[in-house]
Amino acid sequence: MPESVFGVVGLFDSADALMAAIPEVRARGFRNLHAYTPYPVHGMDEALDLPKSKLGVLVFLIGSIACVAAFTFEWWTSTRAYPLMTGGKPYNGWPGWVLVMVESTILFSTLTTGIGMLFAFNKLPYFGNPMLGSEAIASVTRDRFALMAASDRGALDVAGATEALRAVGAAALEVVYEPDHARPGVGWWVRTATTIVAASAVAGFGTWWAIRAYPTIKPMVNMEVQPRLDAQRPDAFFANGRGMQRPPDGTVPRASVPILDTVPDDAGKSLMNPLPVTAAVLARGRAQFNLHCAVCHDRLGTGHPWLDSTYQAFPVDLQTGPIRAAADGYLYWVISQGIRTMPGYAADISPDDRWAVVRYIRALQRSQDAPARDLK
Amino acid sequence: MTEATLPAALRVEPLVQGDVTLAGLDDHIRGWTERKPPRAWYVAITITSLTALMGFAAIGYMLYEGIGIIGNSVPVVWGFLIINFVFWVGIGHAGTLISVILYLFRQRWRNAISRIAEATTVFAFVCAMMFPAIHVGRPWFPYWLVPYPNQRGMWVDFRSPLIWDVFAVLTYFTVSLLFWYLGLVPDFATLRATAKSRTRRAVYRLLSWGWVGNARQWVHYEKGYLLLAGMTTVLALSVHSIVSMDFAVSQLPGWHMTIFPPYFVVGAAFSGFAGVVLVFAFVRTVMQLENYVTMRHMDLLNRMVLFLACVMTYAYLMEGFTAWYSADPFVKYIFANYVFGDQWWAGTLTIFLNCVLPQLLWFPKFRRSVPVMVTVSAGVTVGMWMERYTIVILSLHRGYLPSSWGMYLPTRYDFMILFGSIGLFLTLLLLFLRKLPVIAAWEVKPDIVFYQKQSAEAGHA
Ligand code: HEC
Repeated sequence: MPESVFGVVGLFDSADALMAAIPEVRARGFRNLHAYTPYPVHGMDEALDLPKSKLGVLVFLIGSIACVAAFTFEWWTSTRAYPLMTGGKPYNGWPGWVLVMVESTILFSTLTTGIGMLFAFNKLPYFGNPMLGSEAIASVTRDRFALMAASDRGALDVAGATEALRAVGAAALEVVYEPDHARPGVGWWVRTATTIVAASAVAGFGTWWAIRAYPTIKPMVNMEVQPRLDAQRPDAFFANGRGMQRPPDGTVPRASVPILDTVPDDAGKSLMNPLPVTAAVLARGRAQFNLHCAVCHDRLGTGHPWLDSTYQAFPVDLQTGPIRAAADGYLYWVISQGIRTMPGYAADISPDDRWAVVRYIRALQRSQDAPARDLK
Repeated sequence: MTEATLPAALRVEPLVQGDVTLAGLDDHIRGWTERKPPRAWYVAITITSLTALMGFAAIGYMLYEGIGIIGNSVPVVWGFLIINFVFWVGIGHAGTLISVILYLFRQRWRNAISRIAEATTVFAFVCAMMFPAIHVGRPWFPYWLVPYPNQRGMWVDFRSPLIWDVFAVLTYFTVSLLFWYLGLVPDFATLRATAKSRTRRAVYRLLSWGWVGNARQWVHYEKGYLLLAGMTTVLALSVHSIVSMDFAVSQLPGWHMTIFPPYFVVGAAFSGFAGVVLVFAFVRTVMQLENYVTMRHMDLLNRMVLFLACVMTYAYLMEGFTAWYSADPFVKYIFANYVFGDQWWAGTLTIFLNCVLPQLLWFPKFRRSVPVMVTVSAGVTVGMWMERYTIVILSLHRGYLPSSWGMYLPTRYDFMILFGSIGLFLTLLLLFLRKLPVIAAWEVKPDIVFYQKQSAEAGHA
C-alpha cells in the first residue's frame, strides 16, 4: 500500500517571503496551508485565516470556578466545619479570605493556560507528527520559514502543489508522508502500562522494605527526653527514687471528692446523683461529654469502631443493655477511675461535671430508644 | 525616515550587535549545552555545592538536635530563617518582573535576559520555600500548613496572614516554574533537531512534546503567553505584599504599618534586579553572550536599579515620617533604634547600601562599567538582606513590653544555613547554565531579523 501524503513543504529564507507567498499559493486553489516558523510571526494568523485562540474563554471559566470554589471552601471551613475564634474577628470575616481567593484563581487559571495551551488546544504530545520526520523540521525550528500545502482529507495534487510552491520561490521542496504508525498502537500502551506498574511495584516494595529494615531516626529527641520529672517513672531527684511523690498526709485537692479504688458493690446506693434533671445540667453534661468522651465513644455514645486498630481497644457502646442497666453511681465511678483499657477522668472533669455527664448519657440512651409516649 | 538615516546621536542602540544570525544564536546556545564546560565552572560548582552541603548539614543537625541551636529565642522568635525567607522571595521577583511586566510594556530588551532571570526566580523560590518549612518548629509536619481533610477535624485559619503566605508562595513558585518551562518548549524543539547525541535528542523530544512551530500552534502559544503574563503580574505585585502582611498585620512597633505592602514589593523588585545584574555581569562575558546581552541591556537594568533605589529611599523616608507623625513613643523609639540602637550598623548599612551607593548609577559611564555595577548590585543585595534583618530583629527585640526586651545574636548554624542557601541557589544556577538554553531564542530571533534589516538598510544608504 502506498504511503499517504501529508503535504508538500517548501522553505523560505525570511518571514516576509513566506508571508508574500501565502496568497499566491492560495490563489492556485490550495486552501489547507500550514506555516512553520522558528518564532511567532505577526500577521501570520490573518494571512492564513486562522481562527482566534479560544484559550482565554477556557481560562476565564476555570478561573471563575476556582474563585467561587475558594470562597465556598473558606466559608465552609471558617463558619461550618471549624469555626475558630481568633482575635475577636467574626467567623464570617470574608475580607480576610480575598487574598486566598485571588491566589487560587491565579493558580488554576495559569495551570489551565499552560496545560490547556499545550495539551488541549495544540493537541500535544504528538510525537507522531509527520513533520517531525521531515527534512524541513531542522530548519524551521532554527532559521527558515516553511509553507506547506497539506492534504485535505487525504486528497492533494502533489505535482500541482510542488509547482505552486516552486513558482513562489520556495526552496528545498519536499513531500512529507504520513508515517505508518502516526499514533501508538496497542503494543505501545501495553508496554507503557507494564513499565508503570512494574516501576510502582518496585518503588512501593522498596519503600516498605526500607521502613521495615531501618528504624526511623527520632528527630529533636530533646523535646521528648527532657530533664524533668515524669509521671510513673523512677527519678534520682527524690530520696525515695520516684518521680511522683505522694501529697503530704491529710491533704486533699480542692473540690475533690474521694473515691474508692475499686467499684463499690452498692454503687447504686452509696453514689447517688446529686444533680437534678434540668436543661442546664444536660447542657453542661453534653459539653463535657463532647469534649472528653466523644473522641472515643462518639457523640451518641456508640463508640468509634476505627479506634480498634490504633488504640487496640474498643470503646464500649454506651447504648447497650448492661450500661443502661448500670446504676448512675457505677457510671460516675467509671468516669472517675477509668476501667480496664479506659483511662480515668478524675483529673480533668470535676465531680459535678462528672454527674452531669452521667445525666447526659442517660439522655442519650433515652434519645436512641424513645418510647412512643415520648413523642406526644 | 528610517532609523538608519537618523543622525548617530538620535539612533537607538540596537538590541543585538556584531555578526549575529538566527542559526548562529542557536549554535551558540546549543554549544554551551554540549561542550565540556571551562575549568572555572568545575571550580565554581565544587565550591557552591560544598557550601550547600554545609547548609544542609546544619539543617540536618537542627532537625536532630532541635531549634535551640540557632539564635531564635524569646523575644526574637523570628531570626535568620525568616530573614532569609523574605530575602529569597525578594530575589525571586526579578524574573517575573522582567519576563512579565516588561513584556506587557513591550520592552523588547527583556527578551535576551528573560530566560536567566526566570531561572533565578525559580531557584530563589526553591531556597525561599525551604525556610518556612524548617522554621515551623516541628519540621516533619510542614504539610499542616495546607488545608487538607484530617481526622482531627481541624482546618487552617483563613484570616491569618500566614496562610495567605502559604497560598501566595506556593502559587508563585508553581506559576513561575510553568512560565519558565513553557518558554523553554520551542527552544527544546530547536535543540531536538540539532543536538548531537541521540539520547539528548530523545530527551529534548520528550521535553518539547512534539512541538513543530506550526502557525496554528503559535497562535495559541502567544495567547497563552499573554494570559500568563497578565496573571503573573497580579502575582508579582501580590506575593511580596502578602509576605509583608506577615509583619504588618501583627501588633509590633515598626511592623504595624500600612506602607508595608508596596514597600515590600519595591524592595523585592530592587533586590531582584540587583541580583540579575550580578548574574549577568559574570554570565555575559563568561558565556560570551555580549552580542545578545549588550551593554545597553546592562545600562537599562542599572537604570531600573537606580529608579528602584530612589523609590526605596522615598519609602524609608515615608516610614520614618509615619513613625514621627504617629507620635507613638514606641514606634518613634523603634526607628531611632534602627540607626542609633545597639545594632545601629544594621539600619545604617541598609540606608547606605540601598539609598546612597546606587546613586553612582546616575552617571552613564558607571552604568556601563562592570566593576561599578558589580559593586553596586552586590551592595544592594547585602543591603536588602540587612533591611530584612533590621525589620525582623530590631522590631522584635524592642516590642511594646519593655520588660520583655531582649537581644539577638545569631549562632554559627544561622550563618551556615544562610550561606548554604546561597550555595544551593548558585549550584542550581550553574547546572542550569550548563544544561539548558540560556537565551530564549524564539524571543530574540525577531530582534536579530530586525537588526539585520536595519544594517542592510544602513549599508544601502
Ligand atoms: C481514650 C478513649 C476513651 C475515652 C476518652 C473515654 N472512654 Fe469510656 N471506654 C473506653 C474503652 C476503650 C472502654 C472499654 C474498656 C474495656 O472494656 O477495656 C470504655 C468503657 C466505658 C464504659 C463502660 C464500662 C463497662 O462497664 O464496660 C463507660 C460507661 C464509659 N467508657 C464511659 C465513658 C465516659 C462517660 C467518658 C467521658 C468522661 C469516657 N468513657 C471516655 C475508651 C474511652
